[in-house]
This record gives sequence, C-alpha cells and structure tokens, in this order.
Amino acid sequence: MEGDKLVHVDMSAMSVRTEPLPKEWELLGGRGLSAKIMLRECKNPKCSPLGPENVLVLAPGVLAGTSAPTSGRISVGCKSPLTNGIKEANAGGNPGQDMNKLGIRAIVVHGQPKDMSRLYGLECDEKGVRIVPADHLALKWNYATCEELAKKYSKNASFISIGPAGEKMLRGASVATTDQDNRYPARHAARGGPGAIMGSKRIKFVAVERGKARVREPARRSDFNELSKKYTRAYLDGPQMFKTGTSSVVPVANMLNTFPYKNRTSGQSPDAATLDGARIVESFPKRGGGMHNCLTGCIVRCSNMVHDAQGKYKTSALEFETLTLLGSNCAVGSWEDVADMDRLCDEVGLDTIETGAAIAVLMDAGRLQWGDAATMKKLIGEVGTGNELATVIGNGCAEAGRHTNHPRVPVCKGQAIPAWDPRPLKATGVTYATSPMGADHTAGLIVNPGMPADQYAQASQEIQLINAVCDSSGFCQFVQPTLDDIRQYYSHFVGRDVSREEIADQGWQVLQDEWEFNRRAGFTAADDVLPACMKEDPIGPAKVVFDVPAGIIADAKVRKPARDNLFSTKAAG
Amino acid sequence: MSAKVLIPPPYRGPTQGEAQLMVDADTVLACLQAVEQKFPGFLPQVLDATGAVHRFVKLFLNGDLLDPKRLDRAIAAGDELEIVAAIAGG
Repeated sequence: MEGDKLVHVDMSAMSVRTEPLPKEWELLGGRGLSAKIMLRECKNPKCSPLGPENVLVLAPGVLAGTSAPTSGRISVGCKSPLTNGIKEANAGGNPGQDMNKLGIRAIVVHGQPKDMSRLYGLECDEKGVRIVPADHLALKWNYATCEELAKKYSKNASFISIGPAGEKMLRGASVATTDQDNRYPARHAARGGPGAIMGSKRIKFVAVERGKARVREPARRSDFNELSKKYTRAYLDGPQMFKTGTSSVVPVANMLNTFPYKNRTSGQSPDAATLDGARIVESFPKRGGGMHNCLTGCIVRCSNMVHDAQGKYKTSALEFETLTLLGSNCAVGSWEDVADMDRLCDEVGLDTIETGAAIAVLMDAGRLQWGDAATMKKLIGEVGTGNELATVIGNGCAEAGRHTNHPRVPVCKGQAIPAWDPRPLKATGVTYATSPMGADHTAGLIVNPGMPADQYAQASQEIQLINAVCDSSGFCQFVQPTLDDIRQYYSHFVGRDVSREEIADQGWQVLQDEWEFNRRAGFTAADDVLPACMKEDPIGPAKVVFDVPAGIIADAKVRKPARDNLFSTKAAG
Repeated sequence: MSAKVLIPPPYRGPTQGEAQLMVDADTVLACLQAVEQKFPGFLPQVLDATGAVHRFVKLFLNGDLLDPKRLDRAIAAGDELEIVAAIAGG
C-alpha cells in the first residue's frame, strides 16, 4: 500500500532510517520478505550469527492488519545461531498486524552497540520508531517484562520481547509476542534461536502502539470482504479439527508411532493418555481457562488457556509439540508438569522443542533421570543464570550431544527434529533434509505413511512451496489456506489478478532465496541429510528407519511442473 | 451397495497409499469393515477398542457430518464416506 516502509535500525550507530517498500516487494511479507532482506542486507552470510554482521528482521505477513481471518502472523528472520543458515520463525499474537497498520512492513536491525552490557527497546508508533534505554529490564522474565511495559504504554500496545535466554544469546532462545486478550507473552517465534540474535543486538523489547491506525483497506474492498465472509463460513462449517487445540493430536500421533518417547527410542509413549489434550479440555469446567484466539481476527481459536488446580492461570498455549518433546520424549507423563515447563520456557524465552530435545539427550546419556520433571523445571528456570547444565540446555540439542558425547542426537542442520518423526513419515523427512530451515515441520509436514517413495520429492517440494507462501502471507497454517485462496486474497488486496503461475513462482522464489543464502553461508548438498540415529535406529512394529535414497532427497530441490494439486493442497505444519 | 470410502493421508499406511476405495456394504460400519478386510490394520485407526469412533476422527457421509453414534446408518449406491483426522500441530 502507499506509504508502506521498511524501518532500518542501526544498533552500532544508534540511528533509525526508513526506506519505502520497494514496489517489486509489494506482495512480499513475512518469510518471503525476510528472505529478500537477508540476501540484500546480510553482506556476509558466513558471518558469526551473534556478531554485528548478522541482521534481524521482524516482518508481518502481507495480509496482517487486514480483515482477512487469521492473517496477522509475524516472521522473525536472521542467520540462525543453531543452524548457521537462514532462519524464519513465525508467531501469532498482535504485534504483526499492529506493525502493518502503521505501514511498517519490516523492522530490519543491523549492527551491535559498542557497549554490549546495555539493553534497549524499540518504540513504534505513528510518529516512527525510536531506540530507548531498557537496562531496568535486564534479565527479567518475559511475563514480568510485559507487565512493566503495560504500565508505560497504552492498553492497545502489543509487545515483542526476549527473556534471559535471549539476553545471554543462547542458541535455543525464542522471541515472544503478546496475545490478544491479556497481552501475555505466550506466542513464540521459537525455532532456530532468533531470540539470541535479538539479544545480540541488545534489544530487549519492541513496543508497538497502533494508536488510531486502522484496518488496512484492500483495493477491491467489497470483493475482499465477500471472500473473507465466504472463507470464514466455509471454515466454520467444516470439521474445525483444532477447536480443542493441537494437543488433541496426541492420540493420533501415538497411534502412528510418531509420539517420540525417551529420546526417540520409541514412537509410542505409555503416557499418551495422561498427555492427551483431552485432559486439558476436561480441566476447563472445574478450573476455568478455555480456548481462545491468540491474535485479533483469528477464527481457529486453537490456543488453550491452561489453569492450575487452584483455578489460577498457568500458561498458554500448551501445544502438541511441547507435550511431545518436554513430555513423552523425556518420559514425563503428566500434562500438568509439561504445563509448568511450558510456562517456564515462555518466561526465560526458549523453544520448547529444542529444550525438550536437549534434555532428552542429557537423560539418554545418563546425566539426568528419565521423567524427572522437578529437575527439568529447576534447570529451565535457571537458564540465563550461568548454571552450566542450564546453559547447555539453553544452547539446544546438538550442544547437549557435544557436552555428553552421546551418539543419539536427533538434529538436522543443528536443529532438533520435532515430534513428527521422519522414520514413519519419510516424506516429512525429505522436508527436514532439504528445507533451508533444518528440521522444521512447519516448513512442510506430510503425514502420509503409505506414500510411495517415488512421490516423496514432489510432495515435499509442493508443501514446502505452499508453506513458504503461507508464511509470507500472514495466514496461520492452521486456517489451512491453499495457494488459490491466497492468490485470490492478494488479487483483491492489490487490485490486480494474481495468477496461479505468479503465486507458484513466488513460493519457489522464497525457497530459492533461502537456499541461495545458505549456499553463500557455506552449505552444500552434503548438508541435506538426516542424522545417523534416524537412519539406523528402527521404530514402530514395522521397525522402520529413514532410508530415503540421496537421489530422491536431491530431487525435492529440482523444480517440478506445477500440477493442480499444488494450488488445492492446504498449508500444513 | 457400492460406496466410495475416502482415506485421509495419515491413514494410508495400512492401505498402502490407496486414497479411495470402492466397497460393497449396507451400512457405514460395514464400509469400514470392508476396508479392514482388504487392508488389515486400517480399522483400529478409526474405531477404538470399544467399537466407537475415535474422538479425533470425524466421518462425513456425502459431505454431511455423521453422528459418530450412527455407524448403523444405511448406505445408498454411490454414497461417499470420507474419514477426516486431525493432523498437524505445532
């Protein structure tokens, strides 16, 4: 839209300047915009991720701030300290749509302050973006940080923050965003350590005051609104499979042998019933809490507000991946213990997947006891204090492997494999191997255990392309837009028809840009592999391993002719 | 009666990748049992040990959500039974 801008914050010079959004980037946002900016602005992709040459990008999706349902997500981009490649982590909450309403299509943070002991915040409002001191928030946990910010800024302000893990630049650190209702910092751009990069820029928070900025108006307003109404109706009339949250997936995953137990030595857990999201839903009538949407305009409402036995708020959202990696994978059988750890991870600012995977390696190596939730909570709470084992955990699964010299370290490109196991789900394994992001199920999840091997490459490529477009659009993957849906929204938003060819090219270009960054960072085809433990340790009654030939994996990066499937398959992550 | 059963991707392990099957059956339950007969291991993905539809599964008959207690619902020739399972999750 007219007036949209990129805001460049130089933390070396302590200065801010704006740049009009390049016209050719009009339909880029979120992940796609972040990739373009990283290629342009990170002049040395071989740089140290925690050094001044890395760049941090905060980019809302294209449609964030419009009336399209569930479209307000934000991407955090950087060179990852975990993978050493390009990273895009995606989160809900309100800052994304608030930034776009101010016409801020991305904040791009460069450099590093001379005095790395100081901390700063960024204030964004209708007057612009300013750097402000934030030493008083040093080492504060995220909830306390946001409570302090809420005293200073208006009740409509939304916040982005890091906890002690990010301040200490630990490689599993997340970036928190505040949700709609209570402005809890419960949404996290978590995978790949973007919180460490925000910490390396010495930025503790971003406060976004949207003021009187209004919903972004599309060029073809009535067509856009009509499409939104139709889309919303279709979604609400459908099965709404995430009405009770992603935690409801636990029994299905367990049934499919992709509910990792004890550092992925098994695909099923004896505690599936007590980790099942149904137990969380059962707690609502007595304890309070319930389902809600994390961002304004969301129609999925998959986020749960979890209360403790005394009826007090404990955490939000307690998701499938967290129940798996901090629960089953560590042989913790109580969803309530996992809820405590979810809150602690949100407070110190850590990725729950990476944290659970790291702890499981420590347990498998004999450094911690299986199922010892009390020690897990203590250690997570001590992240950022200098405790040696807590620091290992904060630095992720690969670090836990190095620390213990343990042979079973399930990571791809340095990032922990999520719950969706590549052994029964081989096409997903192809995604893990080839995605520029490393092991990231949101890059392209395929849950089809019966898929023939000759379909893996195309299936992985298609879903990676679809998800790349989805993550650029601002849509949440759980509202499951297709490429046809997204290009229709784009057409009405900008006032010209966006063809199937254009949207497919856009998605492919995002992947190309990311692979190119990684190539410049030193990655080769030899890095598109899964770890030995996934190839050697069988799982499930059929005793499957990841045995996809290198040729099929490589083929996923060779562009296939677009077929109808590409445009009608829903985003999945 | 001849009916089509649509298998969701997560459940295509036992069906060896088959996405849709034609079966001869008189009721919804009989449709599911017919698939199980051809591809053992399929039915436990849809029904639990008590014979009830799993909580995380929804059945649609000709596009309409089926009451999970109505597995005895009659099938007409040309009907389409779709199985939907919640999969994905962050």
